Formats: sequence, C-alpha cells, structure tokens
Amino acid sequence: MSTLRVRPSTVLFAILAVGGVAFGTTCVEACLGPGRAAVRLARTARLAERLQLTDLCLFTEARYTRHASQADRHAAFQDHPAALEHFPSGSLMPPSGAANRASP
Amino acid sequence: MLFHPVIIALLLSSLTSTAMVGASVPFAVRLLRRWDLASGSEAQLLLERRTYLVSTLVQLVLLAQLASLVLFVFNADRMASLFTGAMCAVGTLEADRFGFPALYANIALFFLAAAWLTLDHVDNRGWDYPLIRVKYAALLTLAPVLALASLAELAYFLGLRADVITSCCSTLFSGGGITVAGNSLAALPHGLALVLLCLTLLAVFALGLRFLVGGRGGTAYGAASAAAFPVALAAVVSTLSVYVYELPNHHCPFCLLKAEYGHVGYALYIPLFAATACGIGAGIAQRCADRASLAEAAQRTARCLAGWSLAGFAAFAIVAVCLVARSHLILFGPSAWRPLAEFVVGGGR
Amino acid sequence: MAGLERQRQLLDFALSSLARRPMKNLASLTVYTAVVFLLSSVMLMSHAIRREAAALLAGAPELVVQRLVAGRHDLIPTDRLATIRAVRGVAAAGGRLWGYLFDPAVAANYTFLVPPDRSIAAGTAIIGSSVAAVRGVGPGDVMSFRGYDGRPVAFTVTSTIAAESALVAADLFLVSEGDFRRLFGIPADRFTDIVVTIRNPREVRTVAEKIDAALPDARIILRDEMRRTYESVFDWREGMVLVLLVGAILAFAIFSWEKASGLSADERREIGILKAVGWETADVIGVKMLEGLVMSLTAFLAGYGLAFLHVFHFGARLFEPVLKGWSVLYPEFPLAPSVDEIQMASLFFFTVFPYTLATIVPIWRAAVVDPDMVMR
Repeated sequence: MSTLRVRPSTVLFAILAVGGVAFGTTCVEACLGPGRAAVRLARTARLAERLQLTDLCLFTEARYTRHASQADRHAAFQDHPAALEHFPSGSLMPPSGAANRASP
Repeated sequence: MLFHPVIIALLLSSLTSTAMVGASVPFAVRLLRRWDLASGSEAQLLLERRTYLVSTLVQLVLLAQLASLVLFVFNADRMASLFTGAMCAVGTLEADRFGFPALYANIALFFLAAAWLTLDHVDNRGWDYPLIRVKYAALLTLAPVLALASLAELAYFLGLRADVITSCCSTLFSGGGITVAGNSLAALPHGLALVLLCLTLLAVFALGLRFLVGGRGGTAYGAASAAAFPVALAAVVSTLSVYVYELPNHHCPFCLLKAEYGHVGYALYIPLFAATACGIGAGIAQRCADRASLAEAAQRTARCLAGWSLAGFAAFAIVAVCLVARSHLILFGPSAWRPLAEFVVGGGR
Repeated sequence: MAGLERQRQLLDFALSSLARRPMKNLASLTVYTAVVFLLSSVMLMSHAIRREAAALLAGAPELVVQRLVAGRHDLIPTDRLATIRAVRGVAAAGGRLWGYLFDPAVAANYTFLVPPDRSIAAGTAIIGSSVAAVRGVGPGDVMSFRGYDGRPVAFTVTSTIAAESALVAADLFLVSEGDFRRLFGIPADRFTDIVVTIRNPREVRTVAEKIDAALPDARIILRDEMRRTYESVFDWREGMVLVLLVGAILAFAIFSWEKASGLSADERREIGILKAVGWETADVIGVKMLEGLVMSLTAFLAGYGLAFLHVFHFGARLFEPVLKGWSVLYPEFPLAPSVDEIQMASLFFFTVFPYTLATIVPIWRAAVVDPDMVMR
C-alpha cells in the first residue's frame, strides 16, 4: 500500500472519533444541563408549590390527562359507561398512581 | 410492569438467547454422537461447517447475557422508586418472590457463560477442534441454566406490581427480619469476615503469582478465585457495607450502588466479578493445555487471564482497604483486637 | 502489536468491502440510523420529562382529599375541613378551588385556579403563557366568559406567568375566589377538593387511613402517588410505543437479514477467492462481523447524536403532533438535557442485538461457501 493513500481504517477512526466527541459532548451537556436549568426549575417549582399544583401541563385536551394524578382509573369512561377513551393523549398518559391502589 | 423499556430489553435478550441456545441443543447432541474428525463423510463436513454458526451464535448470546446481568441489577436499583417501601434494589427484588432467584440464576449464568467463552476462545486456537466435545457438552449443561434464568426473569417481571408494599434492606439485612441468604451473611462477625477475606485474598495472590512465575497450579488458582467470590461477597455484606454506611446495622449490598455512596459498589463489584470470571477462565484454559494442539496457546491464554484476574482482585482489595480507611466508623477499638488476635493465634474455634 | 495490526488489516479489508457496494450499505446505514434515532428520541424525551416532573412536583400537596358521588368527583362541603382538622397528625387543611373552562372562541380548555393565598383582586386575572399566546392577549386586556347562568364575567389580565414555567402553568387562569364562584356557580360552602398538610411526613399513610375512616365518601391522593404518576408517564406507555416499534425493529431485522443474505455473485466470488488463498471460515466470519460492528457503531452514534439534538435543541418537533393530540393549548417547554445510562444500555440492546443476531446466519452461510463451487 502506498504511503500517500489513506487507509480506510484511518477514515473510520476519524469518523468514530468525531462521533465519540459528539457523544461525549452530549454527556457533558447532560451533566451540566440540570445545573444550568436549576434556576428555572427552582422558580417553577416554587410557583407550583405556591399554587399547590399537582400535575404537569402536558396534555390540555382531556380532564383526566390534564390532571392525571387527580383522575381515577375510570375517568376515561366518565361520559357514559361504554365511552372508550378517545383522546390521543390518553394513549400516552397512564392512570394515576392512586388509581392503582386498592384502598387508601 | 412488563411495559418498561429496560424490562422489554432484558426479556428480549434473555428470551431470544434461550431460543438460540435451545435451537442449538439438538445440534450439540448430534455433534457429541457423530463427531469424527478423521471421517471425510458429508455428515461430518456439515457438522464442521455448522459449528461455526453455532459457536458465533452462542458467543453473541453469552456476551449479551454478561451485559444483561449488569443491566438487571442496575434496573432493579432504579425501579425502587416505583415501589412503596423500596429504597434500593432489595426492595425491587423482594417485590416478587422470583426476584432473588432470578438474580442468583443470572449470576450463575454469568460465570458459566464466561467459562464457556474461555473454552470457546481456547478451542479456536487449535487447528483440529481440540475441545469440540467438551465445548458442546458444556453447552448442554449451560442451556438449562440459561432457560431457568430466563424463566425466573420472566416470572419475576410478570409478577411485579407497582402497588405491592415491599420490605427494604433495613428489614432484610438487619437481623430479625426475613431470612434470606443475606441475613445469615450479615450476622457474620466483622472480625471473622475480614480475616477470612484477607486469608483468601492472600491465598489467591500466592497461587496467582506462583502460576504466573512458575507456570504451575493454574487449576488451583481457578478454584481459589471461585472460592474467593463468596468470601468477598460475605465480607461486603457483613463488614465492608457497614464501613461505607457508617451505621452498625445497615448491611445492604445494593445501596452501595447508589449515588449517595458515590457508586462505590461498582468499584467493588466490577473488579470482583471480572476477577472471578477471569480466574475461573484461567483454570479452565490451563486444564486444556494437555491437548497437543493447544499446549502453547492454552498456556498463553491462561497466563493472560490470570494476570487480569490478579489485577481485578488487587483492585477489589485496594478499594476495600480504602473504604475501611476512609470510614469514620471504628469497628475495632484497641480492646476489640484482643479476641481477634486470640482467634487468629488459636486458629479458630 | 502484531495482533493489533492484524485486526487493523482485517478492518481495512472489511471497510473496503463495504465501500465496494456504497449504495446498498448506505441505504441500510440510513435505515439503521433512523431506527436508533426514533427509539432514542422517545427515551431521551420521556426521561427528561420525568426528571423535570420529579423536581417540579417535589412541593406538591402532601394529601389531596376529593369527594366522590356515584363514582364521580364532586364538590366537597366546607364542614369536612373541620372533620379533617380533627384527625390527629393533621397540621393544616385548606380548600382548593379549581376547574376547567372550555373557551369556545379558540376551542381550548383552560385550568381556572384560585391561588391558595387569595392574592388576586376581584375582576382581574393572571394567565399562563399559552393562554396569552392562543388568545393573543397581554396585560391590560379584558377577557370575558359566559358564566354558569349565562351572565358574562369579565377579567382584566394583570400579568402573564413566565414562559419558563410553561410545563406546570401554560394553561392556568388565576382568578379571585369570588369571581371563580360567580363564574361556575359554586356555593360558598363548597370547595373543589381539600389539601392537607401532615405534621410528621412519615405518618402520611396512617393519617390518610384515618381520614378515610372519618370520611367514607372521600378519595385520598398522596403526594407519593402524584409523583409516581409522572414517574411512570410514558413509561408503560413508552413501553407500548416500544412494543409498536418492535414491529419496526423486526422489519429492520428482516431487512438486514435480506441485505446480508442477498449475496451478489460478486460477493460470493470474493469469499470464494479468499478461502482459496487460505482464509479460514472463522476469518471470513470475523471480517463480516466487523462490517456489522462498523455499521452498528456508526448508526448508533449518529442516531443517538441526532436524537439528542432533536429533543434538547429543537424541542422534539417531530413528536409535537403526537403530544399535542387534539389540544389547542400546547406548552412550549425547554427540557434540561439529561441522559440516563440505563436507557442508553437498553437502547443498545434494542438496536445492536437484533441487528447482529439477524445477520449471523446469512454471514455464516456466505462464509462456509466452498471455493470451488463459486469459482467454477
């Protein structure tokens, strides 16, 4: 093999090195992430505590997904006994932790 | 609880592994009955060709099993927050009666898989398939363990329910709680545990150096490292954990993995598991050196593995000493050393 | 060093063999990357949301007491407050007033809430950022809604809640107690539910049992359960997504199998020649596995990196339609980057393991080819 030609493995190592550095960057960013967001998170957490909020505002379309922890297991059927859950977000949001409990 | 990404990944790997190894069992039986390297028959040719497929498959599957043990424990630790009363992996494993059996089966599988992979590696060094029968006989014994481990894991994950109130390490490892293996280990006197650990590690180092320098006693070294594993675990449960937590009654071997204790458990367990697996592998490789075509290659592999194994045990010992030295807890005051000294001098009761 | 150099030669060989069929391999690399990208986007995002939820809901009420009538959540009478306060271990109890209002103008649901400190003056409101955005209102504007009796109730917006808090407050509409009762026709002796503070946090369960005994029609929700609701958000449903994606993974596995087994005459010749010049079957398998490893590693790094960019720097745009569903109000929330090692490990299991498994048999089949069969 002539010395001028780059070996394919060198190219691969270069590509993998770039990928590895990118991967490392994501890890570093993930480590720094919570720290940088701490102020925002703390402010929001204080707001949530002051307003006595119980849930995340992820899905606003249905009662039982807007305040999932306050809904019971049958909330999706509340409109009438055979009403199947029909909101799209119902497929992303589990029933609340309390709904899984047999008794208090 | 089945629909949890990690659980799906674990089940995916263990069930496909079982299926793959299960599918190669008939082949292993046929090979054990028909293998004849001298023959040039078509059946023998087919067998020879097929061994490549089966070896590669089993290699891959067992590597996946090694990784899945780590994932299993890590996941158990992580899922503790989903169970009422659970604070670490113990609670998660206690949440269903198949939890601990699944863990034990996976640990057993880990070492068996490592042993088989060593065997396979050594076998590939020889030109005349020197260990082929041993390898496939070993596969036949490994297959049921793999199947059992997968079944236990499946039963465990199927049985997990988030509303179960589970007991945690504080009741399990404090004596007077539920009796599992950990409880009797936790009751082991600190002095006895440390002395046993020191003696075992010294024996391991002596045997290992003798093997590395003199080239003899490889099998003995394998046996010693296999024996060192339970002793080291007992020492971790009964004494080292106490040093880390600085609480006389907290013996949990899993809380060590948690961030509160700086993930120090990984620094203890990874070298320990690797050292034991390599040590057993060294013993196995050394046993293979009597085959003519392997005399040199097996010896080389055995030395290499023994070197890694010794390094692993050394790392474990260093971490253990650091933990004891760093701890604010003093288990052995000046007066406490006396019965210990008497014990050592008296050679045990 | 000789061993390393040998491996590197094999790697060179594997790479040039990949490069000889660029289109075919690029196509499968793209599909592979896409699978990794999708899976890791789902995992990264759900993990980040779970983390935020844990941080944000740490201060949620310790106990919420609801009243159930015929299996439905009903307004709770104020006299229950006294009953609850009488339970030993209860430090304080207060009524909450909150509910939903459907705004026909933009077909959106708002969450109306009376702040516990009752700090809002009558006739005014503080609104969440999404409400402000969807209605196009700001401080000083007036919003009017039809009350329960048909009479309009007007609110002057005094301020909006900062967008950085959208994850908990995007759809909030903070109003005064009087306005709330007037809008929904809630009598003065009723609350939506009751929030209880416990003296000793370790007694939460005991206190909950006592309240349950004192108020048989009550449903009690513990903070632990609220936290766990979000601990498992996307978790088992994310599992469902993964089960669905397993279909995609299977299709991908079949694709890789096909790709690997559809050996062209060229490739068979190549392998035949290799074996004729003295390569062992194991060497051929080794090279082919190396090819697979290169593909896996590249696809994993690329797919994961793209997913990280997608979720944390481009706001998970691709998932927006899914998360949005039919809701008009959709919070725009930044997520703090976070990576979960265990998820990464399971991601690796999900992608690399099936791929490698699927390519083994075709590789082996190629590797045991007889040289003379091919070259004849």
